[in-house]
Amino acid sequence: MEKLFANVRAFFLLCLFLGLSHVALLSSMGPRFGEAMPQVVKGDGALAVAFGDARETISQAFVHKADSYFHGGIDMECDHLAEHGNAAHDDDHDHEDCHDEHDRGEAMQGAFDPWHWINSHVRAPDVHRHLGGGETIELMPWFWASVKADPHNIDAWSTTWYIANNMMKDKDLALRVVTEGLEKNPDDPELLICRGRTIYDNGRGEFAAAREAFSAAVAAAGRMLQRGGSPDERILKARDFAQAYLDDLEKKASMEHGSGGR
Amino acid sequence: MKLFARQVCALVKLSFVELWRRNDIFALVLLGLALMVPLSMATPFGAEGASRYLDEMALLLVWGFSLFIALGTGQRLFPPEFESRTIYPLLAKPISRGRLLVGKYIGAVAASWSALAFFYVLFVASVLLRGGTFAAELPQAIVLHFAFVALAVSVSLLGSLLVSASANLTLSALVLVGMFFFGRRLPEYAEGLNPALAWVVKTVYAIAPHSEFFDMRQRLVHGWGAVDGGVLVAVLAYAMWYVFVVILLADVVLNRKRV
Repeated sequence: MEKLFANVRAFFLLCLFLGLSHVALLSSMGPRFGEAMPQVVKGDGALAVAFGDARETISQAFVHKADSYFHGGIDMECDHLAEHGNAAHDDDHDHEDCHDEHDRGEAMQGAFDPWHWINSHVRAPDVHRHLGGGETIELMPWFWASVKADPHNIDAWSTTWYIANNMMKDKDLALRVVTEGLEKNPDDPELLICRGRTIYDNGRGEFAAAREAFSAAVAAAGRMLQRGGSPDERILKARDFAQAYLDDLEKKASMEHGSGGR
Repeated sequence: MKLFARQVCALVKLSFVELWRRNDIFALVLLGLALMVPLSMATPFGAEGASRYLDEMALLLVWGFSLFIALGTGQRLFPPEFESRTIYPLLAKPISRGRLLVGKYIGAVAASWSALAFFYVLFVASVLLRGGTFAAELPQAIVLHFAFVALAVSVSLLGSLLVSASANLTLSALVLVGMFFFGRRLPEYAEGLNPALAWVVKTVYAIAPHSEFFDMRQRLVHGWGAVDGGVLVAVLAYAMWYVFVVILLADVVLNRKRV
């Protein structure tokens, strides 16, 4: 009996020792490695926990898939969608630099290759085409999957907004997209610009709301730039873009005042 | 000839019964439904009307399931007969090994085709239920898919006579799926390799079964239209020649096998 008590006592002492040393170790590692090993999972939900930073890669893969859909299921080296997705981008670009796989394949072939011949004819023809108008709804599921995988993929959010706003001409959908994007990324200057542009282009005369969004974008960009480090070119561009819209709005407002006064 | 037809009919019937009794197809259909129903109910950002992603997913499942069925059916043609020794009464009847091989192969292909036809009926039904239309490219896509299944069964049949079941299924799936996704890019990959490795890759490109020839999903999903008749004939001729050579090899292996 005495032996049993001795064993139990030894067991409790061992547990106490291990517990205390565990606490001591954690408290000493926290300040030392807190910065080096942040134990924080970005985002929320099961995806964030399961995939961690791999979500960014998965998200990009979905964007790539959407780009392929935009070209009729063909993988092309074409920045059309990506460039337009940048909120601080003003339209038109030509496609002289766009190349598809067919071009590469043809360029690589020397002697006649019957397998290549069959492949190139079974697959989609050698035509560079883009989805347009209402057809672009087909891209939405892939962008939706992309932002679900990584809610901080601003490119994906802004490209989705561009498709809804400029291609589908569905301003309500565009506002829904950008509102959801801002919920996940509050104060992101590019998304604020997207919001401002939709409201500004709406033709509903909601200039006050548009001004509010552009001002918020300028302020958010300023805060980001103040954080130090080398200034991000995209943030600088976004700030200038938002400021240009604000100046335009001021000009319009002063013209309205002027015409009203006369 | 009449006798051969009767023997083949008996073997085809046997393959049908075996495949549909196993309930593999129904399990696959349930799996497909479990994946497709939630997908079809999704409305990304509250926007309705996108359908191509559903078509693509459904076709990918049809391809995956058909490959699963084809490889399994091809694999089960001879090894169980050897293990249970039922090959002896089969060969004791006035039937040659070559005839048995061809008969069993035709039976397996017919059974796999019936499963594929069932999957396509479900696919077309799902398209029509979503308010879609019957694509003009669909008959061509189905014909090429049928040819692919015939090729996959032959590859699996040859493998079943050479290696164990698990090795055969793994290797056949690796080759067919690998060629399906990367086959057309092999010459590109060979460009950057050292000469010896490049030769290996080019040899694989020359002789491996080009399953990507039969894949018309891109045309079907994105509405690129049908392929030229000449191309269709070329692909079917490729499939026929490939199957002929593989079955010939399987015949040689079976004839040399000590039963």
